Amino acid sequence: MRFYLLFGSLAVALLIIKGLFLCFVPDRKLPPFLERYFRYITPAVLAALIAPSVFYAGNPAGLEVSPKRLTAGLVAFIVALVTRNILITIVTGMVLLWGLSCLSI
Amino acid sequence: MAGAKREFLRGARNAVPLFLGIVPFAVVVGVAAREAGLDAAQGTFFSLSMIAGTAQLAAVQLYGAGASAVIVLLTAMVVNLRYSMYSLSLHRVLEERSFIERLRAAFFLSDQSFVVTMTELETNPGNQSLPVFLFGSSLAVFVVWVAGIFLGFILGAVIPAGLSLDFVIPLAFMYLLIPHLGGRDRQVTVLTGIVASVVFVPRLPLQSGLLVAIFIGIGSGMVVGAFSRKTKSEEEWA
Repeated sequence: MRFYLLFGSLAVALLIIKGLFLCFVPDRKLPPFLERYFRYITPAVLAALIAPSVFYAGNPAGLEVSPKRLTAGLVAFIVALVTRNILITIVTGMVLLWGLSCLSI
Repeated sequence: MAGAKREFLRGARNAVPLFLGIVPFAVVVGVAAREAGLDAAQGTFFSLSMIAGTAQLAAVQLYGAGASAVIVLLTAMVVNLRYSMYSLSLHRVLEERSFIERLRAAFFLSDQSFVVTMTELETNPGNQSLPVFLFGSSLAVFVVWVAGIFLGFILGAVIPAGLSLDFVIPLAFMYLLIPHLGGRDRQVTVLTGIVASVVFVPRLPLQSGLLVAIFIGIGSGMVVGAFSRKTKSEEEWA
C-alpha cells in the first residue's frame, strides 16, 4: 500500500510540475534565478547518479569501494567521450567489469 | 479532420530517430524497478502513471534502498523541475485549447517530444495543428518508453545478479552526460557532484545523500557561473 500511495503522489506531483505554466498558472515568466538553475540540473543529477554506482559495490546498506567498477567506469567514460556511442560505451564497461571479476577470482 | 490525423502521424514519425536513445534508458529503468523489488502490478502502475526519465529512475532506486517518502518525492521533483520550463515554452502552442487537452499534453510530455515539437515550430511556424503534432510525438515516445520498461522488468528477473547488470545504468548515463559538459561552470557542477555524491550517498541518513549532492553540484555551478559572468561579462546563456 505504501508503494501505491508514494508513487501515486509522485505521479500527481510530476503532473503539476509539467502542467505548471500550461494549465495552472499561465502567463507567468520564470524568475532569472530559476533559468540559471535549469542549466545545472541535468549535469548535477547525472554526476550524482553515476559516481556512487561506479565507486561502490553492494547494497545501499553496506557499500564498499570497488576498484573493478572504478576501473571499468573510468575507461568506459573515456570511450564515451571519444566514440559518443551509447552501445560501445555500455559494451566496453560491462566487458571490462566482467573481465576484471573473472581475473580476481 | 484528415489534416489532424496526418499531423498526429507526422509528430509520431518525427520522434522515431530518438527511439534509439529512449529504449536503452527505459530498459535500464525497468531493470532498476525489478531490483527495487516491485511486483508485476506495481511495475505496471509505475510505468503507466508517469513518464519522467531520470526522475523515475531516481525515485524507484531510492524507494528500493528504503528512502523515506519525503526524500523520494523531493528528489524526483527537483530532478524534474526542467519540465516547468518546457511547459512555459509550450504555453503559446496550446493557448486556445481546453484545460483537459492541456493537461493531457502535460501528462504525456517528454524531453524528446518537446524537442521534436519545438523543432517543428521553428521549421513550420504556421502549423495550426501543432497540438495534435505534439500529442502524436508524445504518445509515440510514451509507448516506446513503457515498452522498454516492461522489457527491462522482464530481463531483470531473468538475468542473474552475478552479472552486475545494474552497472549498465551509470554507463548509459555517462553517454547522456557528454552534451552537458560545455562550459567551465558545468564542469565544476559535474566534479563537485561526483565528489559530493561519493562522500554523502553512503553516509547521510534516509538516502538523502543524492539530493544533497545534486544541490551542491547545482550550487557550485551557479556560483562559478555568476563569478565568470561578472569577470568576463559574457552573455552566452543557454
